Amino acid sequence: MSEQWRLFKNLTRSVSTAEGLAVDDTLPQSVSRNNSPPILHLYTFVPSVIVGKYQDIEAALRLERCKAHGIEFNRRSTGGGTVIMGPEIVALGLGINVDHPRLKKGVGGVFQSLSLVLLRALAKVGIQGYFQPKNDLEVNGRKIAGLSAASEADSCLLFHTSLLVDFDIALMTDIMNTPVIKLEDKGYNCFSQRMTTVRDELGRKVSVTEMIEAIQNSFEEEFSIRFKEDSPDDWEEKTIRGFIEERYTQDEWIFSHRHPRARMGVGQLKTKGGLLEIYLALSGASIESVLVTGDFFSTSEDLHRIENALKWTSARRESIQNNIASVWHDNMIYGVDVPTLTKAILLAKENQVRL
Amino acid sequence: MAEIKGYNMPDELFYHEEHSWARVDGTKVTVGMTDMFQKEAGDIVFVDLPEEEDEVSQGETCGKIQSRKWIGKLVAPVSGEITEINEEMEEDTGLINTDPYGEGWILVIEAEDEDELQSELKNLIHGDAVHDFVDREIAKTEEEKAKAE
Repeated sequence: MSEQWRLFKNLTRSVSTAEGLAVDDTLPQSVSRNNSPPILHLYTFVPSVIVGKYQDIEAALRLERCKAHGIEFNRRSTGGGTVIMGPEIVALGLGINVDHPRLKKGVGGVFQSLSLVLLRALAKVGIQGYFQPKNDLEVNGRKIAGLSAASEADSCLLFHTSLLVDFDIALMTDIMNTPVIKLEDKGYNCFSQRMTTVRDELGRKVSVTEMIEAIQNSFEEEFSIRFKEDSPDDWEEKTIRGFIEERYTQDEWIFSHRHPRARMGVGQLKTKGGLLEIYLALSGASIESVLVTGDFFSTSEDLHRIENALKWTSARRESIQNNIASVWHDNMIYGVDVPTLTKAILLAKENQVRL
Repeated sequence: MAEIKGYNMPDELFYHEEHSWARVDGTKVTVGMTDMFQKEAGDIVFVDLPEEEDEVSQGETCGKIQSRKWIGKLVAPVSGEITEINEEMEEDTGLINTDPYGEGWILVIEAEDEDELQSELKNLIHGDAVHDFVDREIAKTEEEKAKAE
């Protein structure tokens, strides 16, 4: 008989950020302390934007624009950057013991295991995606989902992801405090070249319910388990209320200052291949994200590969150069080599300013 | 200095199975994360540290470490009071990657008394047992790789 996991599935309404995140935080706690088997939570949020645990929310978001749009903002307990959520984006929380025999070991292993489930779910609706190390799922060079996790109670972890069924890029551009605002002035939206959605890929209206069913079935197949649809028990309800009251409705949590310094820099370098223009977002001494733009010849897929290789890595020269070299191939950017691209990125780093 | 299967695991240190290490000097215990941890985790982008004067117990999570989009735990290898935090971490958490047993130290715990500390050190991995520990950790990963293939 196959192992039984619990499924909290909410198809009836989109939930507030406080409620959704509090339920997610309860999952690993319940597996660790309430003797629960692994729990999967599939749901949608009201229109909202959620930053990573160690992000500077005031640097990441244009909070006034969020308020003007009626967009909720909050902070999750897993790592990574800003995500936009809403009724057309499937949110997924999973509480599981890291030593679960079906889960690959280590940081990379866990991300890989969970990415296989989501790739299977995408395949079920007709999309061939792939895992883009270290944390993303992509389709034809465009991101469709990002994965994040936190090691929580004892050896239990919370895994988070979201899957874009449909997405409002203009809204994202308006509420996020990113270099994109400047790029928009030039009539160029880097998000539209770097992101995609289920509906864009399929050209048909896939419902959130269909996607949720596909994810649920993929978990059952990939982990050889079956789900029992369930709802939080008394212990879990109490824990959820605790997280809502003490964490997700508290300014001390939402506007936490426990984060690296957020800075941004722009670097321009004339090269044989054309002008390189780099937009660099730094988180302490690390690269949170980088955009490689300019008037050179390359493909968006290749640029995305370079940008991905640099995300969440050290901003030291040697590290930048090694990470670019790890994905580099001839003429990746025509007329530009690894040292030249590294130099352009370091110029952006030199020009960093507080956001 | 001992290199075990590609991982630097200095002989004189005591290791917690959650990959924190302890360097003992009397009752002063310097703490950091192992070379094996940093190689597996990749670039460390943030360390969320406790405050000086906080009391911690052996095995307690006393900090969080973010690499990629993963937030891992810093587990106190021994009990005592935190007397020093590596302030360099605020500027460059990459020190955990580049020099995990040197400049990448994270904090110092002052144990209350030496007998208690000696008794706690027996719960940690040390000496010959370090080889077995590394073997076990590698085996876990390889077993999973084999399953995946």
